[in-house]
Amino acid sequence: MKLLVVEDENKTADYVRQGLMEAGFMVDLARNGLDGHHLAMSEAYDLVILDVMLPDVDGWRIVQSLREAGQQVPVLFLTARGGVDDRVKGLELGADDYLVKPFAFSELLARVRTLLRRGSAPNHPDRIQIADLVLDLPRRRATRAGHRINLTSKEFALLELLARRQGEVLPRSLIASQVWDMNFDSDSNVIDVAIRRLRAKIDDAFEPKLIHTVRGMGYTLDAPDAE
Amino acid sequence: MPNRFTGTRRPASLALRVTALVGMATTLVFLAFSWIIVRSLEHHFAEQDAGELRAVADAVIKPLREAGRGVDGALLRRQLAGAVTGHHGVFYYVADTAGNTVYAGQGPNLSPIAAGGQPTARIDARELATWQEGGKSYRGAVLRVDGNAGLSGDPYIVAVAMDIDLHLSFLEEFKRMLWWATCIVLCIALLVAWLAVQWGHRPIRKVNARIRAIRSSQLDVRLNPREVPIELAELVASFNDMLGRIEDGFAQLSNFSADIAHELRTPVTNLTTQTQVALGQSRSAGEYREILYSNLEEFERMGRMIGDMLFLAQTENDPHNLHRVEVELGETVKGLFDYFEALAEDRNVSLHLQGRAGSIAADREMLRRALSNLLSNAIRHTPHGAAVTVRLSQDEERTVVSVENPGKKIPDEDLPRLFDRFYRVDPSRQRKGEGAGLGLAIVKSIVEAHGGEVRAASDDALTRFDVVLPRTS
Repeated sequence: MKLLVVEDENKTADYVRQGLMEAGFMVDLARNGLDGHHLAMSEAYDLVILDVMLPDVDGWRIVQSLREAGQQVPVLFLTARGGVDDRVKGLELGADDYLVKPFAFSELLARVRTLLRRGSAPNHPDRIQIADLVLDLPRRRATRAGHRINLTSKEFALLELLARRQGEVLPRSLIASQVWDMNFDSDSNVIDVAIRRLRAKIDDAFEPKLIHTVRGMGYTLDAPDAE
Repeated sequence: MPNRFTGTRRPASLALRVTALVGMATTLVFLAFSWIIVRSLEHHFAEQDAGELRAVADAVIKPLREAGRGVDGALLRRQLAGAVTGHHGVFYYVADTAGNTVYAGQGPNLSPIAAGGQPTARIDARELATWQEGGKSYRGAVLRVDGNAGLSGDPYIVAVAMDIDLHLSFLEEFKRMLWWATCIVLCIALLVAWLAVQWGHRPIRKVNARIRAIRSSQLDVRLNPREVPIELAELVASFNDMLGRIEDGFAQLSNFSADIAHELRTPVTNLTTQTQVALGQSRSAGEYREILYSNLEEFERMGRMIGDMLFLAQTENDPHNLHRVEVELGETVKGLFDYFEALAEDRNVSLHLQGRAGSIAADREMLRRALSNLLSNAIRHTPHGAAVTVRLSQDEERTVVSVENPGKKIPDEDLPRLFDRFYRVDPSRQRKGEGAGLGLAIVKSIVEAHGGEVRAASDDALTRFDVVLPRTS
């Protein structure tokens, strides 16, 4: 997976690149709009991350050129302004998602993965199994080691999200947005409590533990490496 | 800065309006007055002339009456010539009914007057004829004199006239004088009116000078409404009100800046100290990780605070930037209950929805954010085992969403300040991860952007927050 990052703020650019590379992506970095425009138009990328505010050619212009050239590469906007207008403008011009600065890197990573997955063939299994945890999606039932686990519908939705994105670290804000449609910074404590209650049902009585807290980042559901 | 008011025409100045009106009124009054005087003078002269003409006519008629039929023409002429004495500038002419001249005195030729005029029996001041001849003006009348019936005298036509140049020139002179007087009075009236307006506007200029002297550092000054004329008192009161609002806004703004500085100083100090101590000696990777995690938490909190402040600034700068859709309040609250369910159960707090309300036009995300802040706040302050109640009600004008929770009474003096940014009832709560103290400020800004208002009430048993939204806005 090859990504293009267009960002003129040096520190942000370096850390975004480093973070994405450590997450296993190949990253090209353009530090100004002109280079970014050139790279975006000439190379083939799986995803473009664009800063809106660039000193020369701004992000709007780049995404416009891309769309006019018929390139459907997913574009994620980074914007310092959270204005609704910016958001609407970006989405109208053909951007696929946006993130308001300051953002958490885990949030960026999660969004990047979502966008990249969107392009690939839709994956709607009826059944997800992780270690001895089994999710029966059509019947919305979960079993662990053969035991039926009683979950509320939201708890099931939360578990399903974690399971579908097995191994990925999901930040609290993404969980709030995907499970409860809360698209703004709310009491992040709510997610911690919800995860704790889910854990009590899924993990407390069983081994190995599947739901893990990644400090400062979020939560992930994964089976320990079978060795 | 470009002038926003170019293109609109300035109305005429007050001084000009008042002066013009006074000038017009003075002129009209004076003209009417002059007209009346001139008319009465003319009338007076006509009466006077009529009296004189009557006397002349009587003197002329006397010999005519005494003469009988077939009187000697020469004798009659002599009698007529001597009939009038003691009168200057009067002329007369006598003819018989056939138009033959019986007597023609000196002066203007009166025969066309006698022939053309409609003879009357008596001289009336209102029916005198005036004409000009040879550069002089005359006033006169034509009389019909019946002959002496006893002497079977013939009827005669008598024309009498007098020179009225003297009267006319007097009138002309008088009119000119009146004209000048009018002009002078007009000038005086205009001048006085102008001075009066200037003097009358002095309080306005004084008020203006005081307003001009107000600087942002002294917004606490107020103009004294008792020092200005009654007409300006209301203006001064409105201005004072405006100044009060600006002062409040200013104070809030400068407090806000001070608060931001204060709120940011603490975490930045913590981070700096912690990092410096950490770098003071070499540590294990685990310890470094701990420090980074701790820093991360602090950074995230600061990031959230910045995000909240940006949101506040945007909502307040551009309150009309709402994406209004039909929002079903009941559904919205239930959705929020879903979200808070785990947290509430964890704290052994139950959530209830009471009442119902139709859908309203609102920005869905914003409204959810506001209600979510209120719910989160209520759950946090509800004792274990108690319940948070959301009550919906609606009438023709407004929709009210109340969020109630039992709990400790909020002191009355804190109630109005609850919605201020960074305001915390209990300052010691500040750094216990309970948010930056912007939650209720955000509620307020969202509700006000929707044209509504927020209220808080608290007694020993219950604390209630009301969101009042207008039905149409």
